[in-house]
Amino acid sequence: MIQINEGAEAKIYKTEILGKEMVLKRRETKKYRVKELDEKLRKERTRTEARIITRLSGSGIKVPRIAAIGLFSIYMEKLSGKLLKDLKPTVKQMTEAGELLARMHEVNVAHGDFTPANLMLCNNQLYVIDFGLSEVTNSSEEKALDLLLMKRSVSPKLYSIFENSYRNSLGKSTEIINRLKEIEKRGRYQTRTLA
Amino acid sequence: MPVIGLESSAHTFGVGIVDNGKVIANEKAMYKIGTTGMIPAKVAEFHIDNSEEVISRAIAAAGISASEIEGIGYTMGPGLGPCLQVAQLSAKMLAKKLDLKIAAVNHCVAHAEITRHYGKLKDPIMLYVSGGNSQILTIEDKPFRHYSVAGETFDIGIGNMLDSFARNLKLNPAWGSSIEKHSKGGKYLQLPYTVKGMDFSFTGLLTRATELIGKNDIADLCFSLQETAFSALCEATERAMLLKNKREIGICGGVAQNKRLRSMLNQVAIEHKSRFSYAPDEFNADNGAMIAFVAERMLEDGMSTPINKCEIKQRYRADTARLPRD
Repeated sequence: MIQINEGAEAKIYKTEILGKEMVLKRRETKKYRVKELDEKLRKERTRTEARIITRLSGSGIKVPRIAAIGLFSIYMEKLSGKLLKDLKPTVKQMTEAGELLARMHEVNVAHGDFTPANLMLCNNQLYVIDFGLSEVTNSSEEKALDLLLMKRSVSPKLYSIFENSYRNSLGKSTEIINRLKEIEKRGRYQTRTLA
Repeated sequence: MPVIGLESSAHTFGVGIVDNGKVIANEKAMYKIGTTGMIPAKVAEFHIDNSEEVISRAIAAAGISASEIEGIGYTMGPGLGPCLQVAQLSAKMLAKKLDLKIAAVNHCVAHAEITRHYGKLKDPIMLYVSGGNSQILTIEDKPFRHYSVAGETFDIGIGNMLDSFARNLKLNPAWGSSIEKHSKGGKYLQLPYTVKGMDFSFTGLLTRATELIGKNDIADLCFSLQETAFSALCEATERAMLLKNKREIGICGGVAQNKRLRSMLNQVAIEHKSRFSYAPDEFNADNGAMIAFVAERMLEDGMSTPINKCEIKQRYRADTARLPRD
């Protein structure tokens, strides 16, 4: 088992099950917090993430397929492709990204970290990955935050392609777009610089 | 050059003197909050009554004469309006009397900078935790040198949350250190935990913990409240550190005096082979020395403010303040 990535709450390993390459995402113990809180957070988050991936894949959205779920770990199909952040995103890809987010929001999933770092191009198809911060919600606030994060991660030109495609693919997008404008007007977002 | 700094954004009237980056005086008078907390007008009155005495005390402690002082800094914000005005007016009066250049200092930046200095941190992830503020800061050079906010509280500051809970428990003095004291030997109760990316929120936690008063042991409540809130801060800090690719963690502000929070952050640093450090407690509590420290750098960097432009800004954000060079 080789570690291939480290997030704040989980480690990602490359492994094999029955000769098939797999990705293992395991939420590790954090020594700084008490055991009761540590286990609760790791358990809940693993369960939520697995549930969301299943929900999305059931709705035909391109996500890595789950092979097995443990108490603190999820085994997933290993995608081989390139992250959108390492490519020069094209009009087609940004359009697809907008459609993908619209379809996720349609089934009430807010991604929580929807940036080019979590979109992967495999065999010319765009996949969404990393649902560690995702939640099932119909709150337009959470959905608007997905748009906001993308807005801060790409050029205004690419973002407008993305937003147009999102609007065209989602029936009830007006409320979310309005919410986005409202969030941007709030004091704390005006001056804040994002990575 | 000897620079004097005045701080009065909350309960402390602080006066510090710095010369070539070295603190040579750090005196203060602190309003006793008792069980009621702070009433801004009353605290301002306290500051007015004490300003002259603390200023004289600082000059005496520095072992210099007033005429040797070359510059002055005051806290422009953030803070309570009536309180901020006292340092602002005192600074203007002193500047006129002694013919000094004035630097208008951001309180949060001052906490972070004095901690960077004493903690020997170069480019850290800085967790700034005080009564009114809770932010994760990092230095950015563009579009101008400043502390950018990587994450922050959605609602109230951690200190405010701890103080409110202390008041609800009728502890005296009603602030965070009393919670820390009462948390000894407590058992963990599940409480709402809210982290979103690098941001966090505390009001849900406060409400739930308050509902449990009377039904649970005080030690258990204090322990669980601290553990839950501090874990949220640690998670957000850890995420920011990985995202921004930093190798140092600092903590500053009033709540930086909490030993449990410090030991948790130290653990985060160990797990990422990073360095964790902080300033002596007299600089984590509000103080004038940190204002003088930043003011000296600002004046050396040509960032003085004309006397008729010396304002206060109650909501002065760290990420809008230009940071002087080291």
